[in-house]
Amino acid sequence: MSSASENTNYWRSLEQLENTPRFEQFLHREFPEAASEAPTGLSRRRWMQLMGASFGLAAGASGCRVPEETIAPMAVRPENRVPGKPEKFASMLHVAGKVQPIVATSYDGRPIKVDGNALHAQGSGSDVFTQAAVLELYDPDRSRNVVQREGKERFSRDWNRFFAAWEDISATEGEKVAFLVGTYDSPSVKAQIDRLAERLPQAKWFRHDPIGRPRAESAVNQAFGSHLTPRYRLDGADVILLLDADFFGHESASGLQNLRDYSQRRAPEAGPMNRLFVVESHFTTSGLAADHRLPLETSRVASFVADLEARLESRLSGEVAGDADLGDALPLKPAEDADKREKFIASVVDDLVKHPGRSLVVGGPHLDEATQVRIWRINSRLENLGATVELIRRPSTERDTVGDLAELTQGLNSGQFETVVVLGGNPVYDAPGDVKFAEAYAKAAQRIFFGYYENETSRQSTWHLPEAHGLESWGDGIAADGSYCTAQPLIDPIFGGKSLVELLAQMAGEASLTGQDLVRQTAAQHLGTEMTEARWSKLLHDGFAVESQGEPVAVTLADDLQLSDVDQAAWRADRGDALEVNFRIGATYDGRYANNGWLQELPDPMTKVTWDNVLTVNPNTADKLGLKQDTLAKLTVAGQSVLMPVYLMPGLAAGTLGVTLGYGRSFAGMIGGNLDEQIDPVGVNVYPLRKSDALDLATDVKVEPTGTKYELATTQDHHAIDTLGLEEIGRRVGALVREGTVSEFEAHPDFAEHRVHHPPLESLWTEFSYDGHAWGMSIDMSKCVGCNACTIACQAENNVPIVGKEQVAKGREMHWIRVDRYFSGDFDEPHAVTQPVTCQHCENAPCEQVCPVAATVHSDEGLNDMVYNRCIGTRYCGNNCPYKVRRFNYLDYRAGDHQFEEANRELAQLVFNPEVTVRNRGVMEKCTYCVQRIQNTKIEARAERRPIGPNEVRTACQEACPAQAIEFGDLNNEESRVAANHENPRSYAMLAELNVKPRTKYLARIRNPHPWLAAEEDHSHGHGHHHDEAGGHDKDHDHNHDEKSRTEAEANS
Amino acid sequence: MHRFQFPRWINKFVPLLGGALAVVGAYGASMFLLASHPQTLNVGHAPKQPVPFSHKVHVGQLKMDCRYCHTTVEKAAHAAIPPTATCANCHTGQDASGSVAYAAVHSESLKLEPVRESIATGDPIPWKRVHDLADFAYFDHSAHVTRGVSCVSCHGRVDRMDVVTQVEPLTMSWCLDCHRNPDPHIRPLDKVTDLEWVAPEDPAVLGARLREEHNIHPSTNCSTCHR
Repeated sequence: MSSASENTNYWRSLEQLENTPRFEQFLHREFPEAASEAPTGLSRRRWMQLMGASFGLAAGASGCRVPEETIAPMAVRPENRVPGKPEKFASMLHVAGKVQPIVATSYDGRPIKVDGNALHAQGSGSDVFTQAAVLELYDPDRSRNVVQREGKERFSRDWNRFFAAWEDISATEGEKVAFLVGTYDSPSVKAQIDRLAERLPQAKWFRHDPIGRPRAESAVNQAFGSHLTPRYRLDGADVILLLDADFFGHESASGLQNLRDYSQRRAPEAGPMNRLFVVESHFTTSGLAADHRLPLETSRVASFVADLEARLESRLSGEVAGDADLGDALPLKPAEDADKREKFIASVVDDLVKHPGRSLVVGGPHLDEATQVRIWRINSRLENLGATVELIRRPSTERDTVGDLAELTQGLNSGQFETVVVLGGNPVYDAPGDVKFAEAYAKAAQRIFFGYYENETSRQSTWHLPEAHGLESWGDGIAADGSYCTAQPLIDPIFGGKSLVELLAQMAGEASLTGQDLVRQTAAQHLGTEMTEARWSKLLHDGFAVESQGEPVAVTLADDLQLSDVDQAAWRADRGDALEVNFRIGATYDGRYANNGWLQELPDPMTKVTWDNVLTVNPNTADKLGLKQDTLAKLTVAGQSVLMPVYLMPGLAAGTLGVTLGYGRSFAGMIGGNLDEQIDPVGVNVYPLRKSDALDLATDVKVEPTGTKYELATTQDHHAIDTLGLEEIGRRVGALVREGTVSEFEAHPDFAEHRVHHPPLESLWTEFSYDGHAWGMSIDMSKCVGCNACTIACQAENNVPIVGKEQVAKGREMHWIRVDRYFSGDFDEPHAVTQPVTCQHCENAPCEQVCPVAATVHSDEGLNDMVYNRCIGTRYCGNNCPYKVRRFNYLDYRAGDHQFEEANRELAQLVFNPEVTVRNRGVMEKCTYCVQRIQNTKIEARAERRPIGPNEVRTACQEACPAQAIEFGDLNNEESRVAANHENPRSYAMLAELNVKPRTKYLARIRNPHPWLAAEEDHSHGHGHHHDEAGGHDKDHDHNHDEKSRTEAEANS
Repeated sequence: MHRFQFPRWINKFVPLLGGALAVVGAYGASMFLLASHPQTLNVGHAPKQPVPFSHKVHVGQLKMDCRYCHTTVEKAAHAAIPPTATCANCHTGQDASGSVAYAAVHSESLKLEPVRESIATGDPIPWKRVHDLADFAYFDHSAHVTRGVSCVSCHGRVDRMDVVTQVEPLTMSWCLDCHRNPDPHIRPLDKVTDLEWVAPEDPAVLGARLREEHNIHPSTNCSTCHR
């Protein structure tokens, strides 16, 4: 064992490779800083603001008796309403630029949880924004009134006052009126916009979405001569090539569906696996999922695509010329000593050619249009159109002629408009640097803004109109697949806001119809049927119109495509010192979720940074530029500069600098920043660096180190699992995350279990036996891409608090499920793997053995119960937990007395799930396997005198997982999926050698490398014995390994 | 002048003083514990309700079933306090035209004014909670009544109460007493709401048989009640 291969080198971060003191501290101390110190100075103030904004808890008046409570039953209870029993409603939310079909859970009339609508193709699982929507609903900072500003004065008005003012404005046929809309994707909104345009025929309409996909749309239009939308059929794709496309993330309109379909083919035992090649500049979740990943600057992807097309063409036309059997002849196999890039593209070409009609090439929406057209041409050449990608006609809700923000700015500057109506968005904040919208906006006499928060734009407007939350209003939308979805309110607007549909209708003079009437009208029109009561009920019940998705259109590539020549060698040539800046979506999307504490505290999937946006730089490039981790750098793009913290990101393309949009909000709220209240913005606003003609990419870039220290709150090195120190960590981590290739799996299906050899395990303790239920979990690492949906779902379900940046920096984040991310292999082009870690519910739990007050005890169903009331906060359990999954409430993260008056506190605490105890300061907590769901299912099943179904209990993380990587259930029920997974040969228990007998098993991650590149793969993920013992070891691998490893250990020592 | 000193014989009282302090301390502690025990504090709790609804009249004399009002008791965690509409099934007042339904009971009673007001305005009647468990204890009515645990086991003879009074301490040890030895408290399912019912045989023997029959295994895991 001591001769473990040096090549199995996993590492969590650069800090670890360099062995910095800070990492050492995290490594050796479960609690890096003592609990004694409370936050001081400004940080304390900031911390309390944060806590209060996300959670508030009324401290019950404590007398001798329990306080007297009132029960207020409804005067008339609606039929079938059972107090205290959660109800579920299908609806729809506009989340992060997408239409997301949802199922919302309502508890006594208040929504507390949002999940995907599994009946809809787009709704298996959900993303972090969907999960975090409920926190937004109860945000005390949300806008509450109609506000009128006159000069520096701010008045609260009511809607009537506004509409009276609007009547004056609209009396002129809208001659000097401009409307600015965002992306709305809603037929009802479109209908009301048309109505309003009819009333104000002279008004001009403009559209602004800081994160749009205009080039993707126009590329399709150019390639096929028609406005179509791609729909991917990944089940038929054996080979997938992603070109700078965040295919599973927020950039893709169908990210959730893509991820689910992709992951269906990542279990080697379930059928042939697909193979994923990724060429990308950033390190995204797609790159993490890739079998082969090539870091390449976005500006050089065009060259790669041109080269790829040329190579494909020559190979395919060679076939036509008679070289028919390409089979295993491998005529184009690169030489052994060919460089990596040559091998990579040769393998891609080889795979694509061999899978006509069963491959897929996808380009990112921010690639230039010609390249995207070229990618469509490649797909056409590979016969993928109609097979792995269909083009559907998705009903458009756009007006025919709309201007953009630059044109509006121009119009304002020339005095063309006296009234501007901004319907949503935040253009004053997110306008590109060369569009001076804020200055131009001030020139209009009437500036009307409609939005959910009072933000930067509201402050410069004469009127602010409060928007109702998506969970409070009627609405509809067109999902990515073209299907018609409806939204129904789960609660009345808490502060009398209006939905966009209602507002537009009323502005158009239609005041008599309710939101429901308006949507119902549109639904009838859109679906072309009479909306009878029965049809309407069915539509609302399902949340979308069944069979309304867009039908595939037979397409042929336009034959007059004029694509200019691109240098095919540029992508392999030396890039020199050229740098590019890539603007990407982060935790706050375009900035609209900046005041959402859950999202701000969510570690970025790759950098693991919370509460900041960073400038990501490849470590080698950083060396050359003199940039250091945790310092500020001055980033200058075309004359505009910002100071940003540097984050060294392995695997980033050498010439790429990555920045995240949506930070640096100066008037977001208590969480995201509010300069009026002396709350600093979170992160840095990089919108001013953008140019309106190149929103996603900038090449005129300069970056200089400043040497100023800046502390980032990353969760990356927190909870590093290690006991012996850095020299051991490579092998150790290799034991935690187990990876193999398809060939390894085929030769030894149970290779994962054999990665770690240990002597026979004997317990010092009397072991339990489990006759009833035995709850267990399985997590398939072949499917997980680290999207974090599980973390937020858990936070929403289990009342997990946020703690603020200072506390995260101390390692005190409270997430019950964390997603560990490890790098491995080559330093320049690392692989990454993610591993969600929750409490493993050990059968021989080390935490239970050290608790002096029996606050954590075992249940006879194998749950590791946590009894908050007994806990006295010794933290021995956390110290003794080998998985480091226990979280301690160092401070009262929910205290609300200091900063909120009663009303705000009451609002903020509506987000709590009443099924889960809210924990106090000084108490340990951790994942409970969603014990509230287990108990409720048990009670329900027993009351109905039936057994619990094999997969009936579903945990929050499982429900949220779009990749379906998490399974939960009863291990004693052989029909359950989790029991099958525990029997899966790929399964292994993390740290099984400690004999803690965890109830969560992981399924080893299997990669499917191309044979030409496989050698490299094996190299970096090899078995511990790969080099020295490969000969004798393999044959009797399966048996006697305990015995054998002991003798080995002796021999080696 | 000599400083005043206690004479030596006083010394023998010192240990006695220690003893006395210990006794006083023990007395104080036990009085405190006794006084603050739920048995003392909570049993007998009978708050004044906005409407002097008498269970004695409705259940004891009129023989109404518990589930006529507490409809959700077999389906949900809460045995919901009935909506005002349930009261108004009998206790309606005048309708808009000023006429009173023939079957209306006490349609002009002052004590029922809050009921009529609630029906008219739609505002709830603010009933006072009598049995109040801690928020971290998750008790489920349906789990108990569908297993043959009678209302009377926890709520006492409500059919004899004019004002509902807490009769059991509702402490954790009290819960556990039954979870550890449920037999005496299990009765046939059709007798669950029959508060007067007396077991025809030894309740423990009958309970044991029913427990076998209905596959009842009360759990004493912490997570059964604490989540």
